[in-house]
Amino acid sequence: MDTKLITDITNWLKTTDLAEFCYQKGHNSIEIKTREALPEPLQSTCHLTAVTAPALGFYHAAQKGKSLVLKEGQSVKAGDPLGLVESATKKHVVSTPIAGVLRVISAEEGKPVEYGQPLFFIEP
Amino acid sequence: MPSVKITPFKKVLIANRGEIALRVIRTLKEMGIASVAVYSEADRSSLHVRMADEAVCIGAARSAESYLNIDALITAAKITGADAVHPGYGFLSENADFAEAVTKARMTFIGPTAVAIRLLGVKSKAREIAVKGGVAVTPGSNGVVGQNYREVARKIGFPIMIKATLGGGGKGMRACLTEKDLDRMLKTAQAEAKANFGDDRVYFEKLVLNPRHIEVQVAADNYGNAVAFAERDCSMQRRHQKLLEESPSPFVTPTVRKKLQEAAVKLIKAAKYRGVGTVEFLMAPNKEFYFMEVNTRLQVEHPITEAVCGQDLVKMQIEIAQGQPLHITQAQAGVVHCHAIEHRINAEDSDHHFTPCPGTIEEWVPAGGLGVRVDSHMYTGYTIPTYYDSLIAKLIVTAESREALLARSSRALGEFVVRGVKTTIPFHQKIVTHPEFIAGNTDTGLIERMLAEQKNESKK
Repeated sequence: MDTKLITDITNWLKTTDLAEFCYQKGHNSIEIKTREALPEPLQSTCHLTAVTAPALGFYHAAQKGKSLVLKEGQSVKAGDPLGLVESATKKHVVSTPIAGVLRVISAEEGKPVEYGQPLFFIEP
Repeated sequence: MPSVKITPFKKVLIANRGEIALRVIRTLKEMGIASVAVYSEADRSSLHVRMADEAVCIGAARSAESYLNIDALITAAKITGADAVHPGYGFLSENADFAEAVTKARMTFIGPTAVAIRLLGVKSKAREIAVKGGVAVTPGSNGVVGQNYREVARKIGFPIMIKATLGGGGKGMRACLTEKDLDRMLKTAQAEAKANFGDDRVYFEKLVLNPRHIEVQVAADNYGNAVAFAERDCSMQRRHQKLLEESPSPFVTPTVRKKLQEAAVKLIKAAKYRGVGTVEFLMAPNKEFYFMEVNTRLQVEHPITEAVCGQDLVKMQIEIAQGQPLHITQAQAGVVHCHAIEHRINAEDSDHHFTPCPGTIEEWVPAGGLGVRVDSHMYTGYTIPTYYDSLIAKLIVTAESREALLARSSRALGEFVVRGVKTTIPFHQKIVTHPEFIAGNTDTGLIERMLAEQKNESKK
C-alpha cells in the first residue's frame, strides 16, 4: 500500500472544504461529499443556565412576612436573591450565579426540593 | 419491669449508603415497613437508591455535606414522613448528637440512647463502667493521664499502649515498648489524637503481646433483658483494620465462651444499654480476657453471628427500637449452629500496601452455592466513587465445621469474578490456605507476619 499517496491525499483534503472522499480502483468509483451534504448535527446544547437547590428542604420565595415576586421574562443581576431553601435548622439562600433573563421558574412556593434540583433557568 | 410500650414503625429512613443500606432495606421489606434511602450526588446510580421505596438527594459527594450532614438527614426524614432512622455503621452511627437530633425531631433512633453513646464512646468512661460492673480490664491508667504520666506508666509496667480518649480505627494509638520511648510516643499519640478527634487526651493500657481480638455481640431491650451471642474472632487485622472475621473463635473453649458472654451481659447491664451492640475484648495467649470497648452500633461483621445463631440482627434491632421485649433467651442466643467466616472484599491492591483502587466494575460474578452469602452493592458497570470506603462486598461463608468452612471459603473466593478494579480476593485466598490460619493461630500479628513472608518471597 502506498502510504505516501494516502498522506498526500489527506493533506490535500485539508486544503479543501470537502468532508469525505472515497476512491476505489476496481470499478473506477469515486465518491466525494461536501460539507453541505452531511446531516445537520442536532442542536442539543441548552443555552439556559440552571439555578439549583443549595440544600434539601422547603422552597420559599421570601422570608416569613416578606415577599418576593418573580416573573418569567424578568432580568436578573448576578447574585440576585431568588428565594431560600429551609431545612430542619438552617436557611439556605438561593441566588443566581449569572446575570440574564429569568426564562423558566420551576420552583414552587412551600414545596420540598432535593439537593441539586433545578429551581430556575436563566438565559445569559 | 416497666410496662411494655410498642410503637410499630411505618417508614424508616436509612442514614447510610452501600451494602449496609441494602442490608437494612431488605429486612424492612420483610417486616412490611417502607424504606427511605438518602444519597449524595456521587451515589445517584447506587443500588440502595433503586432498592428503597423512596430516595432523596441530601447533598454533595463529600460525606461532610451528605452522609454526615445531620441537618439534611433530619430534613429528609421530616419531608418523607419517616418515623424512625437507622444509622447503619460508620458515618453518624455512633454520634450522640445525631441520635439526639433524631429524638428531638420526634422520631426514633434505631440504636442506643444518646446518653449511652456518649458514656460508652469515651473509652476511659467505658472502662470505669466495666470496673464497677466487675468486668476485667487491662491494667491501665484508669482515666486520662496527666503530669504524673511516667509514674503511671511504670506502675502498669512496660510494654504499654497509649490510646486517644476519643480514638478509633487505630488513630491516636501508639505502642510503647520501653520507658525511653515514652516521651516521644506520648507526643506522637497526642498530636494524632488532636488532628483526628480535636482532643489530645490519652490514656495508658498494658500491652498484651500476641493477643487475640475477641468480640461479643449483645442485644438488650428497654426492659432490662440482655443476651450475648457466640464470640467473633477479629484477630485478622492489618493496621487495626479488620480483614476477616470468624465465629466461633478457634481459640475459645465452651467454658471460656460462657465466661465471655457473662462478662458482656454484665457490662451491658451496668451501662443500662439498649439495642444491639458489641463488647470487644483482648484475649491473652493464656485465654485471660480484658474488656476493651463497646461499639454502640451494628457491626460490619454482624452476618457471621446471624449465621451462627440463626437470627436476623437488624430485625432484632428494629424490634427493640419499636419497644418490643427480646424474644430469645440466653440459651437460644448462645447457640452455635455452624462455623462462619466473613471476608471483607475491598477494592484495594493487596500487593501494594492495600492502596484503594476505585474504578468501574467491568464484570461482576459473585460467588454462590450452599453456605455462601454475599452482601454487596456492586453490579456490572457500576463506578465506585472515590469519596467513601473501599468495601465492595462481604463474602459470608458457613459450614458445619471449621475444616469444611475453609474448603468452602477457598472454593467461593475462587469462583468470585471481579474485573475492572483490583480486589483483596487473592489475599483472602492466601489467608484461608495459610498453615497458621488453618491451625487456628490467629493472633493480631498474623497478617503482618504473612505480609512479611510475602515480601521475603518476592525478594528471592
